[in-house]
Amino acid sequence: MSYLASIFVLAVTTALINNMVLHYFVGICPFIGVSRKVDMAFGMGAAVTFVVSVAAALSWTMTYFVLSPGAPLTAWIWRMVNPSSTAVVDLSILNYIVYIFVIASAVQLVEMYVRKFFPALYKAFGVFLPLITTNCLILFVCLEIMKHIAGATGPDAWGLDKALIYAVFAGLGFMLAIVIMAGIREELDHCDVPKPLKGPGITLIIAGILALAFMGFTGMDNNLLKLMQKDAPAANENAVSQHQSPITDN
Amino acid sequence: MNKEGPTSLERFIGGILPENPIYRQILGMCPTLAVTNSMEGAMTMAGAVMFVLVCSNILISLIRHLLKPHLRILVFTLTIATFVTIADRFLAAYMYDMSKQLGPYIPLIIVNCVIIARCEICASKQGVFTAISDAVGQSLGFGLGLASIATVREILGFGTWFGQWLGWRVIPVTAPEHWSTWVVMILPPGAFITLGLLMGAVNWIAESRSRKVA
Amino acid sequence: MKNTYIGQAWLVILLSLSFGAALATVQSALNPKIEENRLQDTIGQIPNLVPGAASGDAETIGEHVVYRARDEQGEQVGWVLPASGQGFADKISLLVGVDKEVTRITGLYILDQKETPGLGNRIVEDDWRRQFVDRPLAKRLTLVKAAASAEDEIQGVTGATISSESVVGIVNAAVAQLRVDLSGQGSK
Repeated sequence: MSYLASIFVLAVTTALINNMVLHYFVGICPFIGVSRKVDMAFGMGAAVTFVVSVAAALSWTMTYFVLSPGAPLTAWIWRMVNPSSTAVVDLSILNYIVYIFVIASAVQLVEMYVRKFFPALYKAFGVFLPLITTNCLILFVCLEIMKHIAGATGPDAWGLDKALIYAVFAGLGFMLAIVIMAGIREELDHCDVPKPLKGPGITLIIAGILALAFMGFTGMDNNLLKLMQKDAPAANENAVSQHQSPITDN
Repeated sequence: MNKEGPTSLERFIGGILPENPIYRQILGMCPTLAVTNSMEGAMTMAGAVMFVLVCSNILISLIRHLLKPHLRILVFTLTIATFVTIADRFLAAYMYDMSKQLGPYIPLIIVNCVIIARCEICASKQGVFTAISDAVGQSLGFGLGLASIATVREILGFGTWFGQWLGWRVIPVTAPEHWSTWVVMILPPGAFITLGLLMGAVNWIAESRSRKVA
Repeated sequence: MKNTYIGQAWLVILLSLSFGAALATVQSALNPKIEENRLQDTIGQIPNLVPGAASGDAETIGEHVVYRARDEQGEQVGWVLPASGQGFADKISLLVGVDKEVTRITGLYILDQKETPGLGNRIVEDDWRRQFVDRPLAKRLTLVKAAASAEDEIQGVTGATISSESVVGIVNAAVAQLRVDLSGQGSK
């Protein structure tokens, strides 16, 4: 399957079909907290996308070169210290700690950048910008990338390119969901919401209806794959890989 | 109330209902929605959160006088990440099926706002015993919240309660002619709607109570 | 200035070192058990997938990992193939048991799936998977919606055509791949 096709399917899958908020339930806290006004929501979505791309790039590098079993850098250092050992060095127990520090640094970087170049936006965000550190979405993206580095082979193993595409489109999917929610909530201000449900209650119910709507995207990636297969020149009927590609390629 | 803040008993009782992390503080939403489609998943998550919360609170409370203000978030994060790693490895070793089912949501306990909030509000300011009772109270409240949602979702969605561990059926297997399971309850939309409605219910109860007292 | 930075950071450094030591202990203590769990997931299923098999060993034939199912005397009685592919919602991983000559299927086990509960999820049910047992592999298996009439037809789960079709496709591909690998190796 062509490279561009696989990238495209990955992007669409991450942003729409497996939408981070509405399918994987990550990033709910800002989703409920910041979705009152569309411009704030858009700003939050953009900030999260920015942070998640930086964090994904850093965590991919750390995982690939240092942390996963048999990583190049660690193996090289180990061989310098202990030349005769054949043991496979596995630092993956430190994964979570490294990821959370990478995320905290990425948020710090973005905070400094926004404070320097967009001071009004910085004031508008207030406490929510440092709170992106505790946004489940970024850690979730790092964990997914980790799953596709350690012990994965073939199309399952993600290089830096696929990891970045995944991260960027995860952030964009989050931005889509939060902007839609903000648009709906702006309209809700004029409606008669029952008092017990005001605030988080009605937001969650609307999120449920949105999730129902987004469920309609399921299976789209299968059909996209089949569509792209048709464009590719017909290969040898006996070739096993051709039979396999609509099913086993990801 | 002594000059150091709420007593241990107040912390303990507070964590269960009045300051329930899910319904009143609106923290820790991500695992709440993700693991509550079965009681086993919910209880495993509650147990893991209790382990991490209690251990972190004890440790932070012991070193609270050594914490510098601008480094304390760093220390909290380091502590929580370590205990979550231990819990995750433990689950993978001794409850492998559960670990596969809960997947990436156990490591997400690291960014669970409940734990960092408790470290910040209670453990870094009060003694070890208060910190422990706060942790236990909050995790019981968290577990209670998870259980309430998981009960609704599992009974309506599967017809069982604790189906995987105990195999209790609430809706008999032969009932499908009269009742078919609400599959949507197991899926994401069901999670959102259940939590939203339950939150409304809790708010309504709290409202009517405060009106009766006032 | 520098003095105070190091002075303030000593706690973090001390904590990092002690946590690192604790994690290393946990890793060395629990890793064997976790590996065992992971293997048990696949190798533990072999007796259920090939009749008469007691154990299996992994082998790499032509870049794919397969398991030779052996009986108590160590004689090979069949093959167990791990395979995966895209289902309706996410990836489906499964194990297919075939007899030694790759002429019929002896078992099917779904390792991992995230299909719709109540619909696509039903591919894990015993009744549905039992359809695959004793199917001849002379022709590729096909999916039908009504009751299966021919030997190479599998009836899909009602309301979950795509999930059922994916499973049939994965099984076909795995068997075809085994045939290619074995003939390439020249051992068949």
